[in-house]
Amino acid sequence: MSDLLNHPAFQGAVAPFIVALIVASALGRTRFAWLAILPAYATMVALDTGFTLTPLTASRRSWLIALLAPLVGVAADSYRRSSRRVAPALAGAAALVSLWVFWTLIGNREGWRSAAVGAGIAIYFAALVAAVLRLRDDGLRCGAAGLGLGIAVGIAGIVSASIGALVAGAALAAASGAMLVVQIALARTIAPGYTGALPIGMIAALIAVGAQQLAELPWYALLLMLLVPLAASLPVPRPEVRFARAAVLSLLALVAATLPIAAAWYAARGAPS
Amino acid sequence: MVRRTRRAVVILYRLENIVHKRLALFAVAALPLAAVAAPETFSFDPLHTSANFAIDHLGLSTIHGRFDKFNGKVTFDPAAKTGSVDFVVDTASVDTNDRDKGSRPRSRDEHLRSADFFSAAEFPTMTYKSTQVVYTGDTPTKIEGNLTLLGVTKPVTLTIDRFRCNSATASAKERCGGDASGKIKRSDFGMKRGIPAIGDDVTLTFGFEGDKE
Repeated sequence: MSDLLNHPAFQGAVAPFIVALIVASALGRTRFAWLAILPAYATMVALDTGFTLTPLTASRRSWLIALLAPLVGVAADSYRRSSRRVAPALAGAAALVSLWVFWTLIGNREGWRSAAVGAGIAIYFAALVAAVLRLRDDGLRCGAAGLGLGIAVGIAGIVSASIGALVAGAALAAASGAMLVVQIALARTIAPGYTGALPIGMIAALIAVGAQQLAELPWYALLLMLLVPLAASLPVPRPEVRFARAAVLSLLALVAATLPIAAAWYAARGAPS
Repeated sequence: MVRRTRRAVVILYRLENIVHKRLALFAVAALPLAAVAAPETFSFDPLHTSANFAIDHLGLSTIHGRFDKFNGKVTFDPAAKTGSVDFVVDTASVDTNDRDKGSRPRSRDEHLRSADFFSAAEFPTMTYKSTQVVYTGDTPTKIEGNLTLLGVTKPVTLTIDRFRCNSATASAKERCGGDASGKIKRSDFGMKRGIPAIGDDVTLTFGFEGDKE
């Protein structure tokens, strides 16, 4: 049993998938179904590192923000879901929060490099979160983007020498995959709103930037990850069969996910140890 | 009356002279002692100092590693039975003899530098500061201190397995050296990745030499 609980595949994929499936099924008829991402990710954190907050390292700040993001999403949905200002405001807030998460790493650099790294991280967070928030009205597109982003950051993360990124990325992919399964099983598309789209964008950005700053993920792989939500937003036929639409969108997202993975692999092969 | 007063002044003057002379004599006599008792400071010689660790792997074997970059100072005062050790290790210099990654995307050392283990970008250094040096006779035998790793500070005791000094010669300064070792649980410092496949118990060993400053 202990071996099972300690296995990265169980911690990152199996357990979060089962938890997300159960919670999303239970909340499937409500507007809170996408909150399932929260317990799924929390399960991964509990099994992988535990909930210790001291010292408050970048990794711990990262999962703390990841767990708060769905709650902020619920608040945004409850407040003014239809307002056009909410999405840009959330993307801007994500940029500011990213500076807090990675502050020690930004501060470890000197002079202009510190400012450049901070600005780069903030702009990246704003861009990725904004790209995913664009999908907030379509549960299948958002789920496909989460699946693709999770696999992209997970595999690119392990290629960049971070098992932590692999486990966290797998949890994001598993939770998003579970949301796709629930929508197919319930034969209804569940709009993620900010409750689902915000955590997907935030978690993907947190893992990706974490792997770039704390491991060896090249910066250009981060840019290529922006293509995943764009791929999931490409126009596809609207067949009556949800499964087919979900499969096509997931395939598009996964094809886009191969690009940052390939970039990470290319960088690893060329880099001296 | 005047004679008595003059005599008293003379006596006082002589007494003062005697006290001053004795104090001066005492001070002169104490000088060599003070020189002996002064704490001696040694800087680590990087060519003859190493910071090493050993950890269990899959219950099959022991993986040995070391840090290539570090610096520090040792002071000790055998007469007063005191001393101090300050040691700063560059965590990015971790080396487990895995430089050639071959067909793998990343080497073990790259993985050790990541947030899964030493998180070298966020915590570039690991430090050890002594709080007390314990002597047996004139020889330091134990160092009690605090190890700071990944932002967590915990008490760690190092046993000095051997310690010796060579006297200064015409061509060389006084040089001291020794070996020290200790054990930590890496999970105490938040480094939990891979436990239990990769052991929790880490043995630290230091070989050190330094010239008197």
